[in-house]
Amino acid sequence: MAEKIAFTINGQPRSVEVEPDMMLIDVIRDVLDLTGTKHGCDNATCGTCMVILNGRAVKSCNTVITKAAGAEITTVEGLAKGMELHPVQTAIAESGAVQCGFCTPGIVIELVAMLDSKPNASEQELANALNKHLCRCTGYEPIRDGALIAQKVVQERATAKA
Amino acid sequence: MEYKYVGKSYIRPDAISKVTGKAVYLDDIRLPGMLHAAVLRPQYAHAKILSIDTSEAEKCPGVVKVVTGKGCKFHYGDNIRDLVPMADEKVHYIGEPVAAVVADTPKHAKDALSKIQVSYDPLPVYIDARQAMSEDAVIIHEDMDQYWTLPTLKVVPGTNIANVYQVRKGRAADGFDEAEVVLEGEFNYPFGSCAAIEPHGSIVWFKEDKTIEVWSSSICPFIVRDDLANSYGVPASDVRVHIPDIGGCFGYKSDITVEQTIAWIASFVPGRPVKWVSSREEDFTSTLIGHGIRTQMKIGAKRDGKLVALQVKVLHSSGAYADTGVNVTMAATHNSTGPYEFDHCELTGYTVYTNTTPVGAFRGYGHQEVHLAIERMMDMLARKLKMDPFALRSKNYLHEGSVNALGEHMWKFNGDVAAAASRVQEVVFGHDKPKEDDTYFYGRGFAAVMKSPKGAPFSTKGCYMKMNTDGSVNINMGGAEVGQGLRTVVRQIAAEALKIAPEKVRVYTELDTQFSPYEWQTIGSMFTMQGGRAIVRAADKMIAVLKNTAAQVLKTDADYLEYDGEYVYLKADPYIKVAVTELARGYITEDGITIGDLAQAVSDARLPRYAAPDKNGQGPLGVTYTFGAQGAEIRIEKKTGKILVDHFASVFDVGQVINPLQIRGSVLGGVNIGIGAALYEEVIFDENGKITNPQYFQYHVPTYKEMPKQTIEFLETPDPIGAFGARGIGEHSVVGPAPAILNAIYDATGVDFCEIPVTPEKMKKALEALKEYA
Repeated sequence: MAEKIAFTINGQPRSVEVEPDMMLIDVIRDVLDLTGTKHGCDNATCGTCMVILNGRAVKSCNTVITKAAGAEITTVEGLAKGMELHPVQTAIAESGAVQCGFCTPGIVIELVAMLDSKPNASEQELANALNKHLCRCTGYEPIRDGALIAQKVVQERATAKA
Repeated sequence: MEYKYVGKSYIRPDAISKVTGKAVYLDDIRLPGMLHAAVLRPQYAHAKILSIDTSEAEKCPGVVKVVTGKGCKFHYGDNIRDLVPMADEKVHYIGEPVAAVVADTPKHAKDALSKIQVSYDPLPVYIDARQAMSEDAVIIHEDMDQYWTLPTLKVVPGTNIANVYQVRKGRAADGFDEAEVVLEGEFNYPFGSCAAIEPHGSIVWFKEDKTIEVWSSSICPFIVRDDLANSYGVPASDVRVHIPDIGGCFGYKSDITVEQTIAWIASFVPGRPVKWVSSREEDFTSTLIGHGIRTQMKIGAKRDGKLVALQVKVLHSSGAYADTGVNVTMAATHNSTGPYEFDHCELTGYTVYTNTTPVGAFRGYGHQEVHLAIERMMDMLARKLKMDPFALRSKNYLHEGSVNALGEHMWKFNGDVAAAASRVQEVVFGHDKPKEDDTYFYGRGFAAVMKSPKGAPFSTKGCYMKMNTDGSVNINMGGAEVGQGLRTVVRQIAAEALKIAPEKVRVYTELDTQFSPYEWQTIGSMFTMQGGRAIVRAADKMIAVLKNTAAQVLKTDADYLEYDGEYVYLKADPYIKVAVTELARGYITEDGITIGDLAQAVSDARLPRYAAPDKNGQGPLGVTYTFGAQGAEIRIEKKTGKILVDHFASVFDVGQVINPLQIRGSVLGGVNIGIGAALYEEVIFDENGKITNPQYFQYHVPTYKEMPKQTIEFLETPDPIGAFGARGIGEHSVVGPAPAILNAIYDATGVDFCEIPVTPEKMKKALEALKEYA
C-alpha cells in the first residue's frame, strides 16, 4: 500500500506517495529526479549513494524511506548556493580528486557531513570516513589532499565568523 | 621542452559538473515512454536449453513483453563472430542472457524474472584453459569453424582453441643450445574485474521510422553503431549512438559488450526506448572480466647474464566467447619478453574457450599478466647466476638499435628504460631496508616495464575544430572520457597548437555518432598521442584558413604571413595585421562583402606505420613503445600474513608531460589497481562455473586506508609522432606492481610466489611452511 511521506530535501518541503518498502535512493533518484546520488552496488559497500539525513551521512541504498519521515535531507544537488560551490566541492574539484566522477557525489557528501559536525576532525577520523567509499580511479591520494584543503577553508571561515 | 600551456596543471573541464552531481551518466537518462528490462541468467554455466516457458511471467504486473533468444539468426563480433545477443539452444557461461522481461518499472521487470521456467541439460564445465584443452573435452562451440574471423586468426577446429598466435624470432632451439643457464617457471594472473564504480548500462530504441537510437556506457560508439547496423540490416547512418559521461572503464566498456543484448530485447517492443542497467552482480558475471592468463616461460642465458633465448606458452582461459579475448592473448604473447632483447624467441599464445565470463580488455591489455612472469623470472635468474638483478636487467634492456620479438627496431624516442630503472633503484633501494623485527618482515622489489602499442590499421581518430567570432574555439572529437582526463589533454594541446589560452577552448562533452567525428575506440593508451596529433593537424589547417583569408585582406601571399593566436600579420612588418576575430567567419569588407572562408578544420590521425605480421608474427606494430620502471617497499605482518605496501615508486618515459596533476592521478590510480590484483582481487569460479564473489564486499577493491605513499616521476624523451612529443600513459602503471610486490615478498621472506593475489591466508601458510621446513 502506498503511503504518504513528508520530509525536507535540499531546503524544500516535499511530500511523496511511495511504497513503504522503497529505499531512500529510489525515491531520491526516481521519484524526485535528483540523479546526483549514484547507485554503484546493491549492498551498501561503495558509498556512492551517500546523503545527509538529519546531519549524518548515511547510505541511501539501505535506508528505508519510512526512516526519512519528517527528516532533513541534503543531497549533492543541495550543497552549492547558486553559482557558489561548497568549499568541499571546490577543493575536491581542484585537488585532482575527480576522475570518472561516479564516486565523487558520495565523497563530497561524506566530507560535508564530517566537516559540518566536526570541523577539527583528525586525519584518522577523515580516513575512517573516507574508508567507507570506493574509488577505482584516483588511488585516493588526491581525495585526501582535497579533504585537507576543504577542512582548512571550513576552519578559516569558522574563525572569520567568530 | 618548455611550452606555454603544455606541461602545466589545469583543472578538468568536467570537474565542476561532477562535484555538483550534474554530470549525466547512463542511469541518469530518462526518456519519454521508457520501458525497463531485466535479464535472466542461467543456473548452469554450460548446458543445453531444453525448453523455456514464459507464460507465467507474461501475466505479471507491468510486464509488456518477455523475450527469449529463439529465432535469433545472427552472430556478431569484431575479431571472431562468435557472439549472440541471447542464448538460443545452449548456454556457455553463468552470466549469459537466457531471457528478458520488459516492463514499466525496473522492479516489475525483475519481479517477473523468477516466473520464467527454463529446463536445462547440463554439460561438463571448464573453468581453466588446461581443462578445456584436454583431449576428451566437450566442444564449447560446435560451429566454431563456421564463424567469420579476421583473416589473421587461426582457429583449431575440433578443439576449444579459438586461436593460436605464434611469434618466432631467430631459432629458439639454437638459442637454448647456446645458453649456459636455463630457467623455467609458470605464473598465473587469475580472472579479475575492472569493477568500475559505475556498472554497465544501455538504452536502445527501435523507432517506427526504422532508425535505431542508443545510449550506452561504452567507449566505442562507432563499433556499437556499425555492429547494430550490420545485425539489423539498416545503414550505419540510421543508427545514432550517444555516450554520456562514463563512471570508469579500465577496459571492460570497450568493444561491444551489453549493447547487442539490449538491442535484441528492445527490438521486440519497437517504438519504445528500453533501458537496462546492470546490478553489481551482473557487472561481475555478465559483462567482461579480465586476465585469466597462465604463462609458462623458459629463459636461456649466458653465464655473464646475456639473455639468448625465450620460450613462452600463454594459456588464456578466454571465456565463453573469444571475440574480445583473442587480442588480449596476442598482446600478452608478444609482450612476454618484457623490456628485454632476446635473439631467439618462440612465443605461442592459445586463446581457449572456457565456461567462464568472456575476457576482454582490462587496463594493461595482456601486459601485466606476462610481466608477472618475466619480471619474477629476471629476479630468479639473477639468483641462479649469482648476479645483481639490476645488473642482469641492464645488460639486456631494449635500447636504441636493438630489435624486439616482433622484429621491430627500437629507437631513442621509444624512451629510456635504463634511466627509469636507475631512478627507481635510487628511490626504493637507495636507503637501508628496515631490519626484521618481532612484528614485521621488510622487503623491496623491482620491475621494469614495456608497453607496446595497439596496432590496428583502422584506428583513426578524428577532430572537428571551429573558431568563433570572439576567437574562442570549439573542438569535437570521438574520444570517450571515462575519467582519464582526455578533455583536459585536448584543451591543453589545442591551446598550445592554436596559441590561445586554454580558457578559450571549449571541449565536447558527450559523444554522439550523429555529430562526433569517427574514432575506432578510445583504447590502448593512445588518445594523448594519436588524438593529440589529430588536434595539431586540425589546428594547422585552421590556421592556414585564417592566413588565406588574411592574405586577401592584406593583399599579399599567405606564406608572407604569421599567426600568433590573436592576429595574422606580415612577417616582415608585424604592424600590418588583421585580428583573428575579424577572420573567423570570413572577413567582411567595407563594401559589406564577405571574403575568405569560415575558420574551421577537419582532420584525423592514424598509426604512422603498420605492417601486417608475416607467418612468424614478425612486423612492426606502429606508433611507439613506452618504457618505465616500478618498485615497492613492503612490510609483512608475521602474525597475520598481511602485506602492507608502504611506498611504491613509478618512473615512466612519457615523452612529454601534458598535465602534471592529471598524469600523477593516472599513475596513482593505476598503481592502486595493480596492488589490488597483486594482493586482493580475484573473480573466483567454483567447479560449476558460478562466481562465488560477485559483490564489492566479497571482491576486495583497494580502499582508502590501503593506499601507499607513492613516488611518481617522468622522463621526457620526446616522441616525433605524438603532439609536442607526448606518449601515452593510461595503462602503464598497472603493469609493474604485481611482479614488484612479489619480488619484494621474496626479498622479505625468501618465499617465491608465482600466482596472485597473495592474500594474508596464502602468505601466512607459506610462512608457516617455512618455519616447519626450518
